Amino acid sequence: MRGWRLPLRLAWRDALRSRARSALVLVMIALPVLGVTAATVLIATSNVSTVEGLDRELGDADALVAVREGVDEVAQAPNPDDGLDYDEDSGTALTPAQLAAALGDRPLTEVRQGWGMLRTDRGATDAQLTEVDLSDPLAARLVDLTDGRLPRAAGEVVVNQALADKGYDVGDPLRLRGQDSPESVVVGIAESSRVRSEPAVAGLVGSLGFETFDTSRTWLVGGGPMDWDEVLALNERGVSAYSRTVLEDPPPASEVPSEVEVYESSTDETALAIAALVVTMALLEVVLLAGPSFAVGARRQARTLALVAASGGTPAQARRVVLASAIVLGAVASVGGVLLGIALAAALLPLVQSFTSSWLGPFQVAWLPLIGVAGFGLVSAFLAAVVPAHLASRQDIVAVLGGRRGDRKPSLRSPLLGVVLLGVGIVGAVLGARPGGELLIAAAAIPAVLGMVLLVPVVLAVLGRLAGRLPLSLRFAVRDAARHRTRTVPAVAAVAATVTGVVALGISTSSDAAEARATYAPMLPAGAAIVSTLGGQDAEQVRTAIGREVPGAEPTDIRGVRDATEEQYLEVTVTAGSDDWLLSSSSSVLGSSLLVGDELPPLLLGVDEDERTSAARVLAAGGAVAFTDRGVRGDEVGVRVARSDGMTGEPIGRPVSATLPAVVIDVDPASTGPVAVLAPAAARQMDLEVTTVAVAITGARVTEEQEQAVTEVLAATASGQEMYVERGYRADGETLIIQLVLAGLGALLMLGGTLTATFLALSDARPDLATLSAVGASPRTRRGVAASYALVVGFVGAVLGAAVGFVPGMAVSRPLTTMGGETCVITGSGSCTPSGVQVGPFLDVPWLLILGIVVVLPLLTAAVVGLTARSRLPLVARLS
Amino acid sequence: MSAVLTLDRVSRVHGEGASAVEALKSVTFTAAAGELVAVMGPSGSGKSTLLTLAGGLDSPTSGTVTVEGADLGSLGLKDRARMRRTAIGYVFQDFNLIPALTAAENVALPLELDGQRPRAARAAARLALDEVGIGHLADRFPDDMSGGQAQRVAIARAVVGERRLILADEPTGALDTETGEDILQLLRARCDAGAAGVLVTHEARHAAWADRVVFLRDGVVVDESGSAPVDALLDAGQGR
Repeated sequence: MRGWRLPLRLAWRDALRSRARSALVLVMIALPVLGVTAATVLIATSNVSTVEGLDRELGDADALVAVREGVDEVAQAPNPDDGLDYDEDSGTALTPAQLAAALGDRPLTEVRQGWGMLRTDRGATDAQLTEVDLSDPLAARLVDLTDGRLPRAAGEVVVNQALADKGYDVGDPLRLRGQDSPESVVVGIAESSRVRSEPAVAGLVGSLGFETFDTSRTWLVGGGPMDWDEVLALNERGVSAYSRTVLEDPPPASEVPSEVEVYESSTDETALAIAALVVTMALLEVVLLAGPSFAVGARRQARTLALVAASGGTPAQARRVVLASAIVLGAVASVGGVLLGIALAAALLPLVQSFTSSWLGPFQVAWLPLIGVAGFGLVSAFLAAVVPAHLASRQDIVAVLGGRRGDRKPSLRSPLLGVVLLGVGIVGAVLGARPGGELLIAAAAIPAVLGMVLLVPVVLAVLGRLAGRLPLSLRFAVRDAARHRTRTVPAVAAVAATVTGVVALGISTSSDAAEARATYAPMLPAGAAIVSTLGGQDAEQVRTAIGREVPGAEPTDIRGVRDATEEQYLEVTVTAGSDDWLLSSSSSVLGSSLLVGDELPPLLLGVDEDERTSAARVLAAGGAVAFTDRGVRGDEVGVRVARSDGMTGEPIGRPVSATLPAVVIDVDPASTGPVAVLAPAAARQMDLEVTTVAVAITGARVTEEQEQAVTEVLAATASGQEMYVERGYRADGETLIIQLVLAGLGALLMLGGTLTATFLALSDARPDLATLSAVGASPRTRRGVAASYALVVGFVGAVLGAAVGFVPGMAVSRPLTTMGGETCVITGSGSCTPSGVQVGPFLDVPWLLILGIVVVLPLLTAAVVGLTARSRLPLVARLS
Repeated sequence: MSAVLTLDRVSRVHGEGASAVEALKSVTFTAAAGELVAVMGPSGSGKSTLLTLAGGLDSPTSGTVTVEGADLGSLGLKDRARMRRTAIGYVFQDFNLIPALTAAENVALPLELDGQRPRAARAAARLALDEVGIGHLADRFPDDMSGGQAQRVAIARAVVGERRLILADEPTGALDTETGEDILQLLRARCDAGAAGVLVTHEARHAAWADRVVFLRDGVVVDESGSAPVDALLDAGQGR
């Protein structure tokens, strides 16, 4: 430590003296620390731990106990959610009176939780329901009254703001959907402790009339802490308990009954590996961004260091002088970043809450991870100074004291190592380009990026040699960049590493999207919509809803035979000649797999006009139209309809069958149409009950708002239908957002790296600029030089980074988009079409993103730098 | 002989009020084409200020500086920069070559800055380098040159493109005696070829190359002569 005292003091003074450069380093290190700190605090705050969530479940009670029907003994983990064991129908549960006796003189009040459908102005909505005596002190804090009053009697309820927004106000009647629900009156608005943006209703027990999730009854229990022994005693009588005391201070595992299988969350190794990768890349990025400042700092101190060496200082002492400034700046940046991050998180809390559907937990600063984050900042500063420190300790003392400047010639070893590392990275990526190889590819990206960093000096040297034909400012910038490698290389490498990441992730996400686009199978003709009515129910309501919510739409009834009712289901088999099946799969997108009509219904995919005409002819003749994706031919089909019991699967009655004149129409394997369409006469002949199975909507583009409105209206009908609108493949909003975030983050890091390097270079090149001025450079030459610096750093970095980024990007698109063997092709409705063929791999390179980041962004940065750089040249710097 | 550089009652005050320092006090001075004028004087006498004013790097507090008939004081920053590219050449004590550029590129700098095509500028630069005797070093970088070679490059840069005013600030200060003499010979030759030269120096030997010696002390010209015994004038200047 003694050897460090002087270097640290020197570093502190130096940091104060060169404020601009110190500020630059502080920002470079403090910003990531700040960001991670804010994220850590916000995540810790929004994560509600069991203990933090206690108040939401228990209010002011000490425990929540549950009694299950037919259960007289249970075994539980300290938290019943983690493990609960009981035999069903093993005995008789305690009655409420027996439970009260078992709890001694503890006060208790019953609480019931559930979900139900509520009518709204438009239709219906889901709501969280709570029945409890809200005036009971035990239930205090389960709701927070903001308007009106709490319910005092059955028939009075409070609703939360989310439900009030849907049209329930104080004084309005409220009734759950269903036959025998009692009607209540809203007497107040109260926020539930459990949900925030979802509708919630609370009233006295019995006032809402709903069924709970299972056969258990629950009570809030007060009367002081309930310890583990008491919980165990209750378990023996069939009562499970969720006790505040036990959860806050759980008993050792040895005291938990052995028959309880405690669910333990296992550490996800993949997640851990990904986290390690992310931390490594972030560390690399910060080191590269902060590196140039230390390089310039070391050069500014070069004379001091040379004098130290000339008067007998060892290389180690010279190194310490440079490293000490990293320690000083790193420490200040880390501590400052953490403190500012906490403040930022506190400031962002209301914003985060407004985007979250549940209540955030109490503001929580987890110090241990934050110390880790601060350590990260310190380590990154230290690493950023290692190379400059090493070079400073080996500098040519005579040259420095003689006033010459410039780096030493690059060694041959590091580019060689770079080539090897790059090779390792490429081999790793190639090996990883198979299903399941994602992690290997990501890991291989690290040596690839490190190898690239080591090759940057070579690239700069080559460019310097080739720069002879470039215009003056660009030539000056390229040559200067090549001469001052310790300053330029980290900046170029920082840009390159960023671009590598952006390009790799960009290729993988857009390849993923390409796969989704290519494998998308529409269910309906583009722009059409359909509502299945599940067999005639509510068809009139459906038509009315569509007519009201979607102006201009033409609803058309699709008639058919119901595939299933509550009691029975239908099995329709269509055969042609010796072929037992015509379709490899069928679905009832159009309401049923067996449709009936005088002509083909609308919205059939893959049927052209000629086929429609011939189909109409056959149907008019009392025949049938069958569909095949297996190339079956024939002018006659056998139709067989068998009924089975919905519960037991037993056949009901005898199957009916008929042989009908038919046309067989070829459809796509991925199509989701019916099996056959029968003529009405044929259906009558087979004694099939024909109803409206779906309502097709054509003639209007259904907007998403209209779709939601119709769905909300339909939620109130008996069968709760939903509308499906075929909008074709639509890029996942996520893909677009990811690409935007990537581009934004890339731009930010690129700007940071470029600006650092440029302004450090400008301050370094002050004497040269003075010379330029003396030989007649006009004031804007400085701007030209500044812009050229930015262009060189940005462009060289971006090209290198993009080249390296293609390797993991293209490699990872293989495992991401290849599906082989028995897999699913997910169609628009989320249904799964089995597919024996291999799908993929898909490769889609987001050229626009790459063009933007490789060409536009460096040009833009250069333009910004050129426009903002001071145009005044230092005039007499070298003359006096 | 026509005057290339004229300073007419030029004063330059640095700072304001009590801390004001008068670097030059009403100095009148001319340098004509074909003439090499040595400016001598002790440290702080105003030699360098005179040179910065003559080069348009600084503006006088009062008086006028005229180069090739143009009043520098009436020109804007841009036009003064243009003057430095086209009419005035600087030679510095420590060369001030740009290390990132080759010898030829350094010499071509004023031409390129003036908008000439790189190829033509480079050709002119090679010619200028040939004239100062180091045409074979055109593609070397300054760091790979000796002091004498570097200063030759600097002189080539100062004269390239028909410039008729050469301002040299202690051009031999960083060189050994023999090389210094070579450089001065070069300057003399440029002046004989028609340029006006102003040489700031404190070495009497070098002043001997000049047609005229102007002696400054405390911002005032104390002697201006082409014949006075130079050594006698120099006694006060040796302290530097």
